[in-house]
Amino acid sequence: MAAVEIRNVAKSFGPTDIIRNVNVEVPDGAFVVLVGPSGCGKSTLLRMIAGLEDIDKGEIVIGGRVINDVEPKHRDIAMVFQNYALYPHMTIAENMGFSLRLAKQSKTEIARRVGDAARILGLTDYLHRFPKQLSGGQRQRVAMGRAIVRQPQVFLFDEPLSNLDAKLRVQMRGELKDMHARFKTTTIYVTHDQIEAMTMADLIVVMRDGVVEQIGSPLDLYDFPANMFVGSFIGSPAMNFLTGTVRQHDGQQVFETGSGFRLPVAAGAGASNGLAATLGIRPEHLTLSSRGEGLGGKIVTIEPTGSETFVVVQLGADKISALLRQRLTASIGDELWLAPQAGTTHLFDSATTKRLVSA
Amino acid sequence: MLRRKRWLFAILAILPTLAIFAWLRMYPIFETLRLSLHKWDILSKNKPFIGLANFQELLKDRLFHEALLNTTIIAFGVLIITIPTAMVLAALIHYRTRSRVSGFYETAIFLPHVVSLVPAAMAWKWIFDARLGPLNAVLTFFGFEPQAWLFDPTLSIISVIVLCSWQALGYAVLIYLVGFKSLPVSLFEAAKLDGASGPQSFWFLSMPMLKPITLYVSVVTLVSGFNVYAQAFVLASDAQGAPGRQVRVLVLDMLENSFRNYRVGYAASEAVVLLLIVLVLTLIQFSLLRERGRA
Repeated sequence: MAAVEIRNVAKSFGPTDIIRNVNVEVPDGAFVVLVGPSGCGKSTLLRMIAGLEDIDKGEIVIGGRVINDVEPKHRDIAMVFQNYALYPHMTIAENMGFSLRLAKQSKTEIARRVGDAARILGLTDYLHRFPKQLSGGQRQRVAMGRAIVRQPQVFLFDEPLSNLDAKLRVQMRGELKDMHARFKTTTIYVTHDQIEAMTMADLIVVMRDGVVEQIGSPLDLYDFPANMFVGSFIGSPAMNFLTGTVRQHDGQQVFETGSGFRLPVAAGAGASNGLAATLGIRPEHLTLSSRGEGLGGKIVTIEPTGSETFVVVQLGADKISALLRQRLTASIGDELWLAPQAGTTHLFDSATTKRLVSA
Repeated sequence: MLRRKRWLFAILAILPTLAIFAWLRMYPIFETLRLSLHKWDILSKNKPFIGLANFQELLKDRLFHEALLNTTIIAFGVLIITIPTAMVLAALIHYRTRSRVSGFYETAIFLPHVVSLVPAAMAWKWIFDARLGPLNAVLTFFGFEPQAWLFDPTLSIISVIVLCSWQALGYAVLIYLVGFKSLPVSLFEAAKLDGASGPQSFWFLSMPMLKPITLYVSVVTLVSGFNVYAQAFVLASDAQGAPGRQVRVLVLDMLENSFRNYRVGYAASEAVVLLLIVLVLTLIQFSLLRERGRA
């Protein structure tokens, strides 16, 4: 096991900057998830750690050693690819033992380590089969097994669950977490799925356009998003944004939406009156309120799922979605009033998109 | 009803092609098979049936044995040179020069395949020439004895093999390049992380994964190797300048029997032997291919 440090790393393909001055510290034994939309540079960063892409600027340190010019095979890392990258002409046992065979380990040692990994992953019965004879989930396990047998200092995962169906993804998520709890190997995991990031990570690194937007624990990111992008990216369904202005009203600072609704802003918010701002409210933080209190409008969508009800309400020019715990008797076109729970809204500066304060 | 109409249409649509195919491809094969059991001198109307007499004679024919041996040596020689060379060249072109000059190398290697056979063979005849050829010039420059490439019985076969391989290489490299391009990059990245060097990736990944391509190229190379004729005809003349005598090959033997000795039936029996050899070798190669498919 080893800590990984990414210091001022940059990478460009021709004139396009893919990674811009990224700094991340991955503590020893941590499960860190790099998350962001497609093209944000997260996979490139992972491939730079693996040694599959050159580092243009900055340095990457694994276990106290700068590995910029170290061959991938000497970096003591193992990687699981999105498409598993299993060797189609080798059996499962050969696939898992390939790195040991190249390292000139004895046949008994290879068999022992492959056998151990297969037992942990429930692959013992499949060792003599070929990859194409296995299901997606089993192939995923083989890819993990191939990483485990090497006993590396760092595991790298590049969107490993994106080829699986939803149910299997949830199951494999659990297995990966169990595996991490068992081996405590430092893990860097890339995904575009924020649910995966939230459920698995000790630490999440949110990236956009080659820049780190925020680093923090899953709940930190959820409770205190640094900017509108993180606010909208973390959490499902996505955060609502209402544009408006911070004003003084009845001796109290309030946020007034474009449609004229007023919501209180906590004292000491640090927002000056007249500031063009955006208020972020998570759908699950809205509750039903009495008429004239909070935000009101006509229902445009209503989706009951049994345990929850998802509604979208038209607020003048804006739309706002809410995830309600209770069932609604209302139907489309009816008026509905919603109010955010105290202390759950997020105020952002519209110009910089940065978070101002917890309103 | 509709189904029957469709069938009728389908049959009518492919009938012309099928007829041409049958006339041009199937009829000559059957005619050859039929002729091999008859005696015919091209001119006479009579083609008496003589059973397997032609084949019995083949067993004792010294010239046929020589031609069969030479042809087999040439075919397998070309195979042994072409397959590994083509695979390595394709790998070098694919991995070393990925974008910029790979087109140039591809063209340079493919060119011999499209160049007309006779001028190409004439050029090689000059290269191998005992007195004027650059090959002997190079040999003497490095202090080796000059060789009579085209007159020595062994060396002349080697010369034919070199010429045939030079021609076969372009096509084989092209097919291998397509194969290399279709191999998934992530497998090689995974191998890199597993600790494989370039040559190890080539040995453990590329070669086994290109097995279907290797089998296909082998079949094509071997079949064309068994049909070698013009290369030997132009390249290897005997001391009196009579072409083709030095390296006697099966096709040449057939031509001589047909049109010089007027023994068409006998030549047909040689053709049948050649057909059987090629057929058996192809079947062996295809069965190897299927074995891999089952894995």
